Amino acid sequence: MVKITLLILTLATFMSASSFEENCLKCHSKDFKFAMMMKKYTQNHSSERKIKEAIFDYLKNPSADKSVLPYEYINRFGVKEKTTLDDATLREMIDIYYKMFNIKERIY
Amino acid sequence: MYKSEKQTIFYVLGLYLSSTLLLIFTLFSSYYLYKLDEREHQEKRVLKDYALVLEEKLLGVHKNSDTRYEYPRFREFQSAIYDIDKNLIFSTLQKMPKNLEQEFFFQGDNVYYIAPLKPYYLGGAYAVIEKKQEPLHIIGDIVIAALLVVLIALVTSFFLVKLVLRPLRSTLHLLDNFIKETTHELNTPITTILTNIETLGSEECDEKSMKKLQRIKTASMTISNLYQDLVYLLLNHQVASQNQTLNLSEIVRQRVHYFLDTANAKKLTLDVTLQDNVLFFADRQKMERLIDNILSNAIKYTNKATTITITLLPSSFVIQDEGNGMSQEEINRIFERYSRFDKTQGGFGIGYSIIKSIVDEYGIRIVIDSEQKKGTKVTLTW
Ligand code: HEC
Repeated sequence: MVKITLLILTLATFMSASSFEENCLKCHSKDFKFAMMMKKYTQNHSSERKIKEAIFDYLKNPSADKSVLPYEYINRFGVKEKTTLDDATLREMIDIYYKMFNIKERIY
Repeated sequence: MYKSEKQTIFYVLGLYLSSTLLLIFTLFSSYYLYKLDEREHQEKRVLKDYALVLEEKLLGVHKNSDTRYEYPRFREFQSAIYDIDKNLIFSTLQKMPKNLEQEFFFQGDNVYYIAPLKPYYLGGAYAVIEKKQEPLHIIGDIVIAALLVVLIALVTSFFLVKLVLRPLRSTLHLLDNFIKETTHELNTPITTILTNIETLGSEECDEKSMKKLQRIKTASMTISNLYQDLVYLLLNHQVASQNQTLNLSEIVRQRVHYFLDTANAKKLTLDVTLQDNVLFFADRQKMERLIDNILSNAIKYTNKATTITITLLPSSFVIQDEGNGMSQEEINRIFERYSRFDKTQGGFGIGYSIIKSIVDEYGIRIVIDSEQKKGTKVTLTW
């Protein structure tokens, strides 16, 4: 029984991880730029709850003046598309994003 | 030094010192509070500076790292950062603060300062700075100052007491000298009267004059006795006792003999039983005063033509009269007067005062048994 649950759990993580690749990493790469965005959100919103809320807010409704990216960048590449993901999936993706890039766990 | 003088000194000193001490205490405690406040300000300033240093370092780490962030550490102080929801992000603190509501507070040996941060570098919205409390270095100062002030207070109080006592002292001296001088002046006339009566024989006078002469003699002896008492009281606290082994039997015999004329004048019978060679270690003059006073009291208060029984045993001396006696209340009052005995007050209790002081000095127990209309019995035991 325990084994089965474990199996399902790993499977789920694997699946959601892979869906993160699909949903987010197809445009972003796991590089310093994606990390930098998290840094910006951290600097502006402080806590996990607020950061996630703000990102959710942005992805639902991107706009130039809400963006944390430099003006020149937005000017050149434009604001991203509104997300097509449903809220639950989006939140799940943001959780993974936060888990991968958050600063709090990288302080030593 | 007189008792009343001492009392005055104590009152004045007590009042003066207690008010000075109160003043010192108020001054020192306000000084202490002031210092405490000053330290608080100083600590606050230092902590605020530290907070700025921390903020700057956080900014550096935030900007310049991207995968791992080294939290800035300092030797002078410890710190922690909390996010906007007051969750701990990172801490090097020794003790966690209980809450983040107060900007500045003491907890244990440490002082804490909580600074809001903006932007939230590393996510920190609040920085907590922790630092060891600076000790207050004023206890030593206060002790030294207190000693100094007390010293000054003591010196001034010495002069104050002198100042206050001067008028009291001069009055008492005047009185004292007056009594001393008159007492000494009394000696010569009394001695003259007594020796002259002694030399007058029966062949020179008729029986009527002899009787009158006897009365004069008795009266003079009473004065003489009073004189002795006064001298004793005046010199008592100036001359040390010259204790020696005394033959009490001899002394009692002599004193009884001395009072014989006085007793005769009242037609008293003296029933004297003396054990021979009863020895006692004391001052001769004091023992004479003691015996004289008890004897003269008995003669004074007994009724005419009665018997006074005088008994000396190896460790007791009893004098019993057949006078009017005293009620228990009166006896108590006598003892009360003993206990209130005060050299400066003098007065009518002289005889009792002397008895009491001598009896006390030599640890002799005194018991007065008295029955009204029957007589009084004074018992000394040792
Ligand atoms: C279609 C491509 C694409 C996908 C898919 C995508 N993004 Fe983006 N994303 C962008 C672009 C382009 C920008 C930069 C423009 C902007 O910020 O609006 C961006 C910006 C961001 C930013 C910065 C927002 C800001 O304030 O400027 C975040 C955060 C972000 N993406 C998160 C995600 C997450 C999480 C996912 C997965 C759910 C995701 N993105 C999926 C294209 C994409």
